[in-house]
Amino acid sequence: MPASVWKKCVDSLRDELPAQQFNTWIRPLKVDDSVTSVLSLQAPNRFVMDWVNDKFFDRISELVLQNADTSLSVEVKVTSQQPVRYQRRTVQQPPVVEYSELQAAIPAQNSHTKQNSNGPVLDEAGALVMDGASATSAITSATTSRIVTATPDEQQTIAAGKALHVPASVMGAKKERASTVEVRGGLKHRNYLNESFDFNSFVGGKSNQLGLAAAQQVAENPGGSYNPLFIYGGVGLGKTHLMHAVGNALVKKNPNAKVVYLHSERFVADMVKALQLNAINDFKRYYRSVDALLIDDIQFFAGKERSQEEFFHTFNALLEGGQQIILTCDRYPKEINGLEERLKSRFGWGLTVAVEPPELETRVAILMKKAEQARIDLSHDAAFFIAQRIRSNVRELEGALKRVIAYAKFTVRDIDVQLVREALKDLLALQDKQVSIDNIQRVVAEYFKIKLSELLSKRRSRSVARPRQMAMALAKELTTRSLPEIGEAFGGRDHTTVLHACRKIKSLREEDSDLREDWKNLKRSLTS
Amino acid sequence: MTLLPKQKPSKKNLSGQVPQQIPLPVSLSDEATFGNYYAPEDAGNTLVINTLKEMLQDDGERSVFIWGAQGCGLTHLLQAACHSAEIDGYSVQYLPLDELSEFPPEALFDGLEAIDLICLDGIEHVLGKESWEKALFHLFNRLRDADKCLLMAASQGPHELPVQLPDLRSRLSWGLVYQIQSLDDEQKLAALQMRAKRMGLELAADVAQFILHRAPRGTAQLFEALRNLDHASLKEQRRLTIPFVKQALNY
Repeated sequence: MPASVWKKCVDSLRDELPAQQFNTWIRPLKVDDSVTSVLSLQAPNRFVMDWVNDKFFDRISELVLQNADTSLSVEVKVTSQQPVRYQRRTVQQPPVVEYSELQAAIPAQNSHTKQNSNGPVLDEAGALVMDGASATSAITSATTSRIVTATPDEQQTIAAGKALHVPASVMGAKKERASTVEVRGGLKHRNYLNESFDFNSFVGGKSNQLGLAAAQQVAENPGGSYNPLFIYGGVGLGKTHLMHAVGNALVKKNPNAKVVYLHSERFVADMVKALQLNAINDFKRYYRSVDALLIDDIQFFAGKERSQEEFFHTFNALLEGGQQIILTCDRYPKEINGLEERLKSRFGWGLTVAVEPPELETRVAILMKKAEQARIDLSHDAAFFIAQRIRSNVRELEGALKRVIAYAKFTVRDIDVQLVREALKDLLALQDKQVSIDNIQRVVAEYFKIKLSELLSKRRSRSVARPRQMAMALAKELTTRSLPEIGEAFGGRDHTTVLHACRKIKSLREEDSDLREDWKNLKRSLTS
Repeated sequence: MTLLPKQKPSKKNLSGQVPQQIPLPVSLSDEATFGNYYAPEDAGNTLVINTLKEMLQDDGERSVFIWGAQGCGLTHLLQAACHSAEIDGYSVQYLPLDELSEFPPEALFDGLEAIDLICLDGIEHVLGKESWEKALFHLFNRLRDADKCLLMAASQGPHELPVQLPDLRSRLSWGLVYQIQSLDDEQKLAALQMRAKRMGLELAADVAQFILHRAPRGTAQLFEALRNLDHASLKEQRRLTIPFVKQALNY
């Protein structure tokens, strides 16, 4: 019944509230069907829950009263889709490392761990494999507690989490889910590796050959001399891809290998949750029990002292155990501000490799590879044209290709240079004329030898007004700004003033040869 | 933010004598939907709508960034995407960042990777703030790992937006990026007539032109004027003629 009552309430709220508010706060609420005694609404997170409770709760209650036959009370909770799970399980069999983290479930029980071994063993590949039991004992004894103050940032998160109210029913739901995960995940634990990021799909070139070679070495011989492998470089150049490729290769070689990929943010979030729930030892055990730990974008550890502390110990434990560590970062270890010196120096213990922006040939090869993956026929000319124009990083290259493909499918045409031009019109235009209104104003003021402040002032004498009109007309022609935006940039003028300026300059250009000359000069100096 | 009362009938008594019919609040809901979005054939907007409709399908693009000048219909498209996804049984969350920029982004984005489609409207309002940019970046990564959809809207393209964090900037242009063109006058006219038709109103071309010349020029305000006219015409039992429009909208 609660569901049908809620449906009626939603219909009323849809009429009462502006669409924006309705979509933001009401639409995400879902009825918890398992509860019939009350109307239990589930919000996607605590923030939405608090907001709904604060602003809409009274009205919702009123509506429920109107629409329900019997009295029905209302509650708003955080949805059980968002598991907060940190329970030590009392499992009969080996005392396995159990650690489950906040958002997506890493199945706790790793059934692949060898149950009878009592210490670290070598697997077929020669990599050290620690089973849960030995990891637990080894690490519990090794765990020392050094008190480190959390940074304000971390404290805030911890405080916010402590206020988190997790109702019993939600906890129940989580337990159920955890057990199903365990059954389904019986063969393989989740490692967060993206299977499409393997060595086959990685396009090597001059810019990244060192990184590629190092990654292949690590995949061959994990925990060897390239430990840690530290890959650094700008955004969108394939660091994450290389990292996943190693992880996938390790898993392929040894399906039992426990490889965990995560973003540095999740390591921090996990640690914070572990602190809140007094499960820091579970956290330590979990991260120290992996065969390979892959952490992306570790520059985000900067300024998070408690996380660095935890990571430092994890790092040492893994290195001692001969387990592989791979890290990526946007810069050279020594250049990361806000990172402890001892971490910086440890990052350099293994192998540090840089990836550079791909050169033209590599960009073409990347495009051809991506087109092949998407089963799209991309001519070499078209690929060359895109690669020539998009130079910054691979993400952008990929985004541009996606647009071309979508456009080709939509217009049912083959991909040639002409089609690429049409599909990427705005992107190419942007490159052709990286002109800003500021720049136009500056150049025009200089050209007519007036002050920039005069150009933007309210003065209407012709010596100022004409250059101003000229600048406005240029702004309309050379930028993608709307008329109101241009008006705003010229001292908060109305868009009709801009329109008038554009018309005026257009007609003057036909009549007045001097002005025509000025226009040409200005345009040339702005676009060349 | 408070609950707004239902729109009250205008108190203005136009004729003063004849008892007026009180319009029932049953005019078709002006919910932003794809069907209600006017996409001129030659503009690329139809391609965008297709992309948005396909986002949640298996091979759909999970990250779409649309941008354009104010009044070009970004909010409409985002809400239409929410609407359509919800009808198909997906969970959705729409977040207007201009209204939410004072809030802690970590709390706002917490756990959103459990939702199938996240729509972030007005990205430009939170850029330049380190905590927001980082939170957006992390949200992006989490959604990508969870294979969930992210639809973003902003006033400028990823290249022009004042993004401080390069990691975030490169991610904004990773998926499909489309500029939404604003409607020109002719298209606005067509959009106005289309919207009127869906409301069950007959709007002749000359009357539409009359409105276009006098109403504020943003599409949102144009449609607002149309809603007011709908209301007034129901109340007065009049067809939309130029004299009536003039009187009803105080032009």
